[in-house]
Amino acid sequence: MISLESSIIRFKDVFKKYSPDNIIFSGIDLEIEKGEFVFLTGPSGVGKSTMLRILFCAERPTSGEIWVDGVALSSLSNAQVPYLRRKIGVIFQDFKLLSNRTIFDNVALSLEVIGLGKKQAEQRVMQVLEGVGLTGKMSHYPLRLSGGEQQRVAIARAVVNRPSIILADEPTGNLDLQRTEEVMMLMEELNARGATIIFATHDERLFENTHRRVLRCLNGKIRT
Amino acid sequence: MTLAILCRRAFSDLRQDFCAQLITTMVVSLSILIFAFFTLLYFNLQYFVDRFGTELGLTIFLTKDTPKDRIPSLHQKLIGLSEVEKVTYISSEEAFRRLEHFLKNEKDVLEGVDPQFLPPSFEIQINRAMFQLNRIRQLAGEIDKWPEVSKVQFGQEWIDRLYVFSGLVRTIVAITGILLLFTAAFVVTNTIKLTVYARQEELEIMRLVGATNMFIQGPFLVEAFLQGLLGSSLALGIVLGGYRFLQGFEAKSELFRGVSICFIPWHYTVAIIASSVLLCVIGTALAMRRFLRL
Repeated sequence: MISLESSIIRFKDVFKKYSPDNIIFSGIDLEIEKGEFVFLTGPSGVGKSTMLRILFCAERPTSGEIWVDGVALSSLSNAQVPYLRRKIGVIFQDFKLLSNRTIFDNVALSLEVIGLGKKQAEQRVMQVLEGVGLTGKMSHYPLRLSGGEQQRVAIARAVVNRPSIILADEPTGNLDLQRTEEVMMLMEELNARGATIIFATHDERLFENTHRRVLRCLNGKIRT
Repeated sequence: MTLAILCRRAFSDLRQDFCAQLITTMVVSLSILIFAFFTLLYFNLQYFVDRFGTELGLTIFLTKDTPKDRIPSLHQKLIGLSEVEKVTYISSEEAFRRLEHFLKNEKDVLEGVDPQFLPPSFEIQINRAMFQLNRIRQLAGEIDKWPEVSKVQFGQEWIDRLYVFSGLVRTIVAITGILLLFTAAFVVTNTIKLTVYARQEELEIMRLVGATNMFIQGPFLVEAFLQGLLGSSLALGIVLGGYRFLQGFEAKSELFRGVSICFIPWHYTVAIIASSVLLCVIGTALAMRRFLRL
């Protein structure tokens, strides 16, 4: 049982439907504890990505309430959404890197947005790139890197401003086994440093021998 | 975000996306160039009509029995009128000399004719700043009532015809100009939209990492401001160059001697530049609106 005080994410009776016959969530109640690492799984089209998109306010639920780090999302105006997003790092299957900017600039973008000083930002980017093993490639452009390396850049960008929550949407979907393991190790490390992680995947192998909580999306409901 | 950071980001984007920015600036420039050309045409037509009207002036014929000592007082009376720029007295003798000069080889027909048969007159040049056809018509009517005046003549018929013609041409030019302005607005906003769409992914990523609308939109608006400013300045520069060329041509060519042209008044050039800047900035803001939603 998770206490309300320690939960960083809370869903209460959340509905999401795009049309009357396209219902994604029908009355979801869910709590995720601070520092928890949960897997979100289910077949394609079941609403894993939608749940993450709702959490970083790319979409709004049809009804119900969601709290993220104590903030009720329904109370957030559009102008306040960017400030919530700075507390959340998002990683995608397709990396979403800017191909016309160097690795360094891609990672620094998250810090530029929050207005961190140039020197401080430089230090922080170097530190994070070292953490993901890409110090030697910081002046390269994304398309010159392998898929695994690009995903590590995306992870570096997501964590460089030290978010308390990390949302990973099928981050290993485009990677081979070895690269997948590298990404999983990085995610474990981030979780060990205190970040709450929601890891959406349909690949059951990633969590079959884990002690982590697994949330299964099916027929508009989530089962643990 | 400070203005310095905003400008630094805008200039960095300009460097990275130089070709697309250049194309947008050229589209702005071409659209404004066509509009400015029509504006120049419009003002020159107006200038021509006004100038032609003032150059026609008034001719006041006096009665033959007007005493010569009345001439200075009539001259004073005429020069005192606000619409009058210059008054020239033409005596009967002077009128006779002019007629002789006009007839050239045929002047023999005037042999034995008394120079006094021609009435004395005043030639009046109208003050350009005061020129208004209705006012001149009214003035001619007033002067015609003076006891010493036998007839007042001015090219009313010509001016009337010219006004009708120029009114028609001005309407056509104005309608064409407005249509061109809308076309320019449409072309410019769509070009900007394409530029924004091309950077759609970048906008999405910025939103993802928590950028505010101002952070995302700011550099685009600075770029649009520069595109509007440079594009319109370049267009007006080309029109000014063409105007200077025609001026030089006008001075050298026998055909164009006496035909003077004018440039678009300065406050209109400022208005064209300001409108162009506004058009680009508003176009960009509208094109970005859909990317700034959640």
